[in-house]
Amino acid sequence: MNVEIKILKKFVPKDFTLISGLPGIAYIGKLSVDYLIQQLKAELVAEVYSKYFPPYVLIRSDGIVELLRNELYFLKDETAGDLVFFSGNSQAFSPEGQYEIADTLLDWAVANGVKKVYSLAAYVSDRVFDVPNVYGTATSAEALEEMKKMGVIPLDEGVISGENGLIIGLAKKRNVDAICLMGETRGYQTPTGQYIIDAKASKAVLKLLTASLNLKVDMEPLDEQAREMDEIIARMAEVERRIKQELSETAKKPSYVT
Amino acid sequence: MDTGIWIERLRKAELKKPVAVVGSPGLRSVGNLVVNQLIDATKAELTAELYSSHLPLIYHTKPSYVSHYLLPGVGGARVKQGRVDLPKVQFYTCPSPSIVIVKGYHANFTGQYSVAEKVVEFLSEFGVSRIVVTAGYGSETRKVCCAATSPDIIREMKETLNLEVEYTGPFYGFSGLVFGLAKLKGIAALCLFAGTEPAPEDPEFPDPTASAIILEVLNQMLGFRR
Repeated sequence: MNVEIKILKKFVPKDFTLISGLPGIAYIGKLSVDYLIQQLKAELVAEVYSKYFPPYVLIRSDGIVELLRNELYFLKDETAGDLVFFSGNSQAFSPEGQYEIADTLLDWAVANGVKKVYSLAAYVSDRVFDVPNVYGTATSAEALEEMKKMGVIPLDEGVISGENGLIIGLAKKRNVDAICLMGETRGYQTPTGQYIIDAKASKAVLKLLTASLNLKVDMEPLDEQAREMDEIIARMAEVERRIKQELSETAKKPSYVT
Repeated sequence: MDTGIWIERLRKAELKKPVAVVGSPGLRSVGNLVVNQLIDATKAELTAELYSSHLPLIYHTKPSYVSHYLLPGVGGARVKQGRVDLPKVQFYTCPSPSIVIVKGYHANFTGQYSVAEKVVEFLSEFGVSRIVVTAGYGSETRKVCCAATSPDIIREMKETLNLEVEYTGPFYGFSGLVFGLAKLKGIAALCLFAGTEPAPEDPEFPDPTASAIILEVLNQMLGFRR
C-alpha cells in the first residue's frame, strides 16, 4: 500500500470544486477546511491511507485504534455546486510521499470530473498587523485577476511547502484550474515546536473563499476562536518584544576580557 | 533476491481459526516478554520468519520503537553461538490452543508500514479470527487496560474480562502499526496494555511484572495453562 483511497460511501460528484487543507504552519489550511466541513455538514465519503504518513497509530478516548489518514468529504450545495473537501490529521513526511499522495488525489479528482482546485495554506510574515492579509497564486492569470478583485494579494515570490503547495503545482501539470489562498500568520510555536492554531488567519482565508464560491457559512464560532487566539498571540508578541529589547540592551553593554 | 521484504516458511502449520498474539520490544519490553513467555508456556514451534532490508541491526534512535526518518539505522548480521543470522520477525504456531505468536521487530521509519502490512497479510493467510497485540503503557498502576478495532470488542472485554479503556494517545512501532493495519484490512484486533513505570535511562529495560499480568489475561482468553 503506497496510497489507498478507501471509499466509504458511493457518491457521484459532478463538475466539483476540490478544497484542500492539510496540517501545516499554524494549521490554517486544516482549520479552514475542517471548519467548512463542520459548518456545512459535509459527509465523510472516503479515507486516504498511506505508508508515507508518520509510523504510529492513535488510540482514541473510546479505545478505538486509528491509523493516521486523510479524508474526503462531500457536499452538494445549492449555490456553490458540488464540493469535495480534503483534510486529515497528517501529511506525508517525505517529498516522495507528498508527491504520491497529492498525485493520487488529483488522479482521482480528474477521473471524477474536478472543475477547480482550491488549496488553503499559510503565509508566514514578520509584519505587525491587526487584520491578516490573504496572499494568493493561481494556475492562470484570469483566476488570479479574479481573486485580486476580491482582495487577494498576488504572491510574487515565495514557497508553499508540503502537500498544500504540491496540490496546486501538480494541478497545473494536469491543466486543472487551481488557486492557492494563504492566510498571513506570525506562525507562533509552543516551546515544544507545535504550531499555535491561527483562527484569525483562517477566518481571513475563509472570508475570501466563501465569497468566491458564493457559500453561506456562519463565521461566529470561528470569530470566537479568533478572539481567544488574539489574546494568546498578543501575549506571544509581547514576550517576543521583551526578548528583542533585552537582547539589544545586552548587546549595548561594554564587555571586558581580563 | 528481493531484499525488500520476504518470508521464509520453515514448516507447515494447519490451524483452526487461530488467534494471533503480537509483541515487540517496546516500552519496558513488555510485549517482547509476553510473546517469549507465551512461546515457552505453549511450546509453540517456529513456523516462519520475515526478513527485510527495513530491519536495522543497529538503531540510531533510542528507544528503538521511536524512529526518525533521518536516522535509518545500520543493517548487518548477528553472530550467536557461531551462527550467522539477520534481524527478523518470527512466527510461532501452536495447535492447541490454536494460536500464532508474532515476535516483532521494529523496522526503520520508512519501512514500518510495509513490514507491518506484510505481517497482517501473512496472518490473514493463517485465517486468524482475531489479533491480540500486547504492549506496555506508562502508568503508576499495575493493571491491564485495552483498546480495539471496534466498540463491540471494547464491550466484550469489559463484560468478559472486566478490562477498561485507559490509555489514549500515540502507539509507536511494529505493534502499533500491526494493530492499525489490521483494522484497515478488516481483521478484528485488540490490544492489551499493561501499566509499567517508564525507565527514562533505559526505556526498554524489561518489566516482567507487567508482562505477567498480561499473560494472566491471555490465559483467561486462550486457556493455555492447564
